[in-house]
Amino acid sequence: MREVISNFLATKAAADKNFYVLSGDHGYALFDEIRRKAPEQFINTGVTEQAMIGAAAGMAKTGKQVVVYGLASFIPMRVLEFIKINICYEGLPVIILGDGAGTVYTTLGASHQCGEDIACLKTLPIKIYSPADKFEMKLCLEEASTLDCPSYIRIGKSDRPAVHTIDSISKLKSNLTIRSSNNRTAIFATGSMVSTGKEIAEKYDLSLFSCPTLSYFNTAEFLENIKKFDNIVTIEEHSIYGGLGSILSDFISENGLNIRLHKFGITEYFTKGCGSYDYAIKFHKLDVNSILRAMKEKTLI
Amino acid sequence: MSNPSNLRKTILRMAFNANSVHIGCAFSIVEIVHALYSNFINIDKLKNQSRDRDYLCLSKGHGVMAVYANLYEIGLIAEDEIENYFSDGSSLTGLADSHVPGIEVSGGSLGQGITVATGIAMSKDLDEDNSKVFCIVGDGELNEGSAWESIMIAAHRKLNNFILIVDANSYQAMGRCENVLSMESFKNKFEAFNFETLECDGHNLEQINESLMTLTKSKIKKPKALIARTVKGKGVSFMEDDNIWHYTRLDNETYNKALSELA
Repeated sequence: MREVISNFLATKAAADKNFYVLSGDHGYALFDEIRRKAPEQFINTGVTEQAMIGAAAGMAKTGKQVVVYGLASFIPMRVLEFIKINICYEGLPVIILGDGAGTVYTTLGASHQCGEDIACLKTLPIKIYSPADKFEMKLCLEEASTLDCPSYIRIGKSDRPAVHTIDSISKLKSNLTIRSSNNRTAIFATGSMVSTGKEIAEKYDLSLFSCPTLSYFNTAEFLENIKKFDNIVTIEEHSIYGGLGSILSDFISENGLNIRLHKFGITEYFTKGCGSYDYAIKFHKLDVNSILRAMKEKTLI
Repeated sequence: MSNPSNLRKTILRMAFNANSVHIGCAFSIVEIVHALYSNFINIDKLKNQSRDRDYLCLSKGHGVMAVYANLYEIGLIAEDEIENYFSDGSSLTGLADSHVPGIEVSGGSLGQGITVATGIAMSKDLDEDNSKVFCIVGDGELNEGSAWESIMIAAHRKLNNFILIVDANSYQAMGRCENVLSMESFKNKFEAFNFETLECDGHNLEQINESLMTLTKSKIKKPKALIARTVKGKGVSFMEDDNIWHYTRLDNETYNKALSELA
């Protein structure tokens, strides 16, 4: 996934002198390629996240295409108000990349873990993407770079198994079918949790959908898709408040659907103790066994 | 172009019509803004919204009535917008808002306008565009850490097209700057941060023009800072250096009394 990001930025910069990438002293090897191909178009602003967002807005106001990169804990979280006023209120087509979202930096503690970015941005006029693998990431980057409005691409755990193959995905939509089943329980997952959902869906023959675009569910097609299920399970490496689960909860209740929703996500806010990524995922009960146990208790499987 | 006295009258008219506060912090920048629009900002390019225009970014958005009064003089704001300031559905807000033609950045949230202004200056520098970015910050506003992040970026990138003007009126919302969070000497600070720095009387047009001329003509590859020593409420005796006029609204008596002093 990181290679896709790196290549995209480098290729885009080499092809377009107007394209700039700003980082607040984060990213290191991710930017080797752009620094090699278009060194002037990669700007490290120093550890100045607030000023960097303002600078990105200023550059975008004067016609530059700007991608701004940071760790999700800081971009968007630390600089949320700067994004609100300088990018969203202006409607500027700045692409914000938030890396390490979820519990990726589990050994670094609470400061670097981020389970609230989607919830915070959902209230602002910004397109939100949460790709599951390199194929979705490529499409998200390509789509975001054609928008005339702000966008946020959430970069979660990047070494999870791919959920698509190169031929199985050509266009983004709110729910990409990973597998179909006649079972009336379905899993909707986003980002790093799609591969987790895939293990469960394959084991119990459930439908599985990946949700890489968290901004446009309100379509007739989506309504038709969702209607055929009695139970929907959402899985996300994000708070159960304000993320994919909440978005579907709103959708189901607003459309008066008779569907029971079961949300799996971060409920404990902060990971207790230090350990591996697997440790953190187990702590938040987002590992396959914990989810299966809970689904069995709810007699979903 | 009008004169500072007329600009203050427009500000009073707006404040009286709208029952608005923030008169003192608008009055302190009247001469600065007047000098910029008279001598340093290409008005035709501003009106045409040319990409290579000079920018005036009012980061201390609370003083926005001073900019509105100038934009009114040059025809970018209409008479009815001044007359109907704050009426329902009107376009001019009480803090600088970039949706208003001529207002380049939203300066309501302190320490933010300067960050965008820096980005605009970066962009112009990359394009080798010779126009200037003027940014007015308040001395109280400089409490904000984000301002200093941008100041460091401007210095690191040697943005000599970036001219930061500090409206040093010695007051912030709750009292004298020196009592709330003392930051002087600004001159020493900006010099230490690698800005070419001058100080002037922020109500003396000759000094303002001379200082800005020096800074804009300078070949030194550094961003510029002008510490403009000003008086909050300048121009009306009972408002001068009294922070109550950050919050007080005009009534018939104070409005007429203030106007009579500006006649």
